[in-house]
Amino acid sequence: MVRAFALVGVVLACSSAASVDTIVRPPKFDYRMTTLDNGLQVVLLEDHSTPVTHIAVWYHVGSKDEKPGRTGFAHLFEHLMFKGSKNVRPDQHPSWITSIGGEANAQTDEDTTLYWQTVPSHHLPFVLWLEADRMASLDVSEDKFVTEREVVKEERRMRFENQPFGRLPEIIFDNAFATHPYRHQTIGSLVDLEAASINDVREFHRTYYVPNNATVVIVGDFDSDEAQGLVQRYLGRVPRGKPVPRDIPVEPTHTMEKVVTTSEAWPLPAVVLSHHITFDGHPDAYPLHILAKVMSDGDSSRLYRSLVYEQQVALAAFGEAKLIEHPNLFYMVAIVNPGGQPAAVMQALAQQVERVKAEGITAAELNRAKRQFARDYILGRETVRQKALHLGHAAVLHNDITTADGEFDLFQNVTLEDVQRVARTYFTDGSRMRLTILPKGNGQAPGGMSR
Amino acid sequence: MISRVLIGSAAVIFGACVASGAYGQSWPSEAPPPPLPSKPVDFPSYQLRTLANGLQVLVIPTHEQPSVSFRMIIKAGAVQEPASRPGVASFVAALLNQGAGTRSASDIADTIDSAGGLLGVGSGNELTYVQGAVVKDQTDLALALMSDIVRSPAFPEQEIVLQKQQAMSSLQVGYDDPDYLANAAFNRLVFGAHPYGRPGQGTPDTIGRITRADLVAFHRAWFVPNNALIAVVGDLTADQLFAAVEKAFGNWERRDVPAAVVETPPAPTRRVVVIDRPGSAQTEIRAGHLSIERTHPDYIPFDMAIRILGGEGANRLFGVLRSDRGLTYGASADLNSFRTAGTVVAETDTRTSATGETLRLMVDEFVRLQRESVHPAELRGAQDFMAGNFPLTIETSSAIAEQVLVRLFFGQDPLEIETYLDRVGRVSPSDVQRVARELLKPEQLTIVLVGDAATFVNQLRPMGFFEYERIPISQLDLDSPTLRRGSAAGAAAPSGQSPR
Repeated sequence: MVRAFALVGVVLACSSAASVDTIVRPPKFDYRMTTLDNGLQVVLLEDHSTPVTHIAVWYHVGSKDEKPGRTGFAHLFEHLMFKGSKNVRPDQHPSWITSIGGEANAQTDEDTTLYWQTVPSHHLPFVLWLEADRMASLDVSEDKFVTEREVVKEERRMRFENQPFGRLPEIIFDNAFATHPYRHQTIGSLVDLEAASINDVREFHRTYYVPNNATVVIVGDFDSDEAQGLVQRYLGRVPRGKPVPRDIPVEPTHTMEKVVTTSEAWPLPAVVLSHHITFDGHPDAYPLHILAKVMSDGDSSRLYRSLVYEQQVALAAFGEAKLIEHPNLFYMVAIVNPGGQPAAVMQALAQQVERVKAEGITAAELNRAKRQFARDYILGRETVRQKALHLGHAAVLHNDITTADGEFDLFQNVTLEDVQRVARTYFTDGSRMRLTILPKGNGQAPGGMSR
Repeated sequence: MISRVLIGSAAVIFGACVASGAYGQSWPSEAPPPPLPSKPVDFPSYQLRTLANGLQVLVIPTHEQPSVSFRMIIKAGAVQEPASRPGVASFVAALLNQGAGTRSASDIADTIDSAGGLLGVGSGNELTYVQGAVVKDQTDLALALMSDIVRSPAFPEQEIVLQKQQAMSSLQVGYDDPDYLANAAFNRLVFGAHPYGRPGQGTPDTIGRITRADLVAFHRAWFVPNNALIAVVGDLTADQLFAAVEKAFGNWERRDVPAAVVETPPAPTRRVVVIDRPGSAQTEIRAGHLSIERTHPDYIPFDMAIRILGGEGANRLFGVLRSDRGLTYGASADLNSFRTAGTVVAETDTRTSATGETLRLMVDEFVRLQRESVHPAELRGAQDFMAGNFPLTIETSSAIAEQVLVRLFFGQDPLEIETYLDRVGRVSPSDVQRVARELLKPEQLTIVLVGDAATFVNQLRPMGFFEYERIPISQLDLDSPTLRRGSAAGAAAPSGQSPR
């Protein structure tokens, strides 16, 4: 009886969701993009809804640019950008920003390093001056460097080592990659962090923190002509650097399945099934994103419904198509419920992959994923910071600012055939890794529980 | 008013400038540029109505993106639970979208996912919420679904079984998570048997005791329109938004709600509790004590004092622990205030070898805040941050709605928002010192350390912490005010429940 109701529900949902053309389209960005003489890319988007302005400076350098023995350096360097320059004392940048009511932070990933601040709009010149000062004249003392290195080591301990499942990404990528630096996490290793020196800091700044490797994105309540003048005045005078090296090792094609079993001091087992896929911006990236949504977005997604809700073998089950600058992974993870068999849960993940290769996805699922995508797209463009993220991502990672708007249609045009084709193309036996991580018993069960 | 404050703070900044430099030689030595003319900032307009059945409705039309988001608050959480049934509020919330009216759990998931919507449920100390967002053409569908799950949850037995199993599994993860353990243990010690001290989902023992009848009774008692608030913001007119709420909730029947009776929290006591988690890479630290409720007359000056200790715009703890010594990635202090009480709590985490030093520095900052008057520039920094930050807090309609909902929830006039910054700006260093003397209790701190006890307990005595209690994870019972299994207060509970 319950089953019958569920079927009726699905049918009704399909017919009410109708076809793609009913999806509300978000407004397009009305941006201006220029390149200064020193190579700095400038993207401006006016948004007068609130008197705030967001300023982001992207540097096209991340942990994939790190040399062997220096993992974690791009991120450590990001911390040092707050430690003083010719006209700014150590830690003065963030304290100045908070004293005007602004918010500031930075983030590093595999491909990029991004510094941002959101401030009341009339402080735009001040922020551009601050960013120019550290781009041109970063000056970090040995003792500030040593102290900040300790902070980053604590960050690694906190995020990765002292949390259940904290090292999961590290274990997945270390096993899945053989050559490409995506093998290591952006946080790096404690040993490599300890080996870094102040000379590395100067060299890294000279090599990568140059205007010809940077993009400034400004979104908010300003006049574009005035902002363009301010960017020219402060950032335009930073001298161009040498061409930026891009000698990143290529991952060889994987032709043999990898099966790994390891153990960690975690409360429950985890199983991971991954396949090597393509890069962000490749035409196959869009159907792969759609496939990830069908697998993993919402309680009606295949992984949640099958493993968590129906079979009840997993506490959580999710997947992601990690589409970034170079080819990466489509991976699925299940946290095995107490008493569950990891091998059986791995089999359940494998069945989901085989099913999508054999049958593809349904029209209802495709429609649902497109609506979810439209929702993410619309809700992801509410704030000046979110808008700047989309523009910066398009300009830096796609090297094509038009994708900031154009991707909406690329997603809406994905077909059922596209999804099944990419599943068959990438989900091959040779590109597969099956990784099982078992709990390392510490002999003590938490109060009221059995191990 | 706001612009004047900003220009004032700008003057302080732009006077200062220090030159130094080893490289970047040709770069000029110069002071930062002055700001552009500032613009006035007003709190955006919103509309409030109360339906005939008592439901308070807040709407904010906003046309930034073609979406509509909604948040409903039911004024019932852990405080309203029967004392013998901790965790009921959390289970009621978790089951709201697992079957309602004629819809099964799967129907609900299919409906919201197919519409491309988001839907979330949850509960806290004194509230339960349902919230979500949709592209605007799905507004009626989303509100109809929300109406079903708030008004007619079915609490199917098989879904209760599944939710219990999921809760047990996630507790197993939580009991391995030092952050969860530290927060849960701190709140339990500070609040004693008061419901604010309960771990949200309950414990392995209490989860087993919850029945369908408990859930039905809790829902029947508290889920009524006259005990609820709803905010709907988005790309429709105010009339359309009100009409959509009226259509979904207009015929919801009003009913009187009972009064919640709760225990009084214990007076603050000095203590150090070590929860032993062998193999930890860091020690998770909490230090603080019982404190004032949200509507206390000294809330604003005391909040400023705690911001100086560990909030944005000042944060002595961050300076001492991170910037100066590299002992941690994060350090902060917060005043967390609810309807009838709250806590002051400072938190950080550090490598096990630095546990004693970090704890000493942290406690010393509590003492210093009470003994010494704060520097006017330090207070100004915290005030300038709040004044300058105001336009950032009204950037999205959901953030605006949340500010209004908080006031309505605490029974305050939402007009309070418009005078709030003036009142913050009037706080003086002597006000801060007065409230620090009256309300801060550095001699009665509850300290919780979660980590590898064997590696750090011998650091405590040299740092002046002579007594501590050490609790192995296997003895930990978060349902007991003593945190120990089998102690007097926890003895009523059947013990040894296993997840299967």
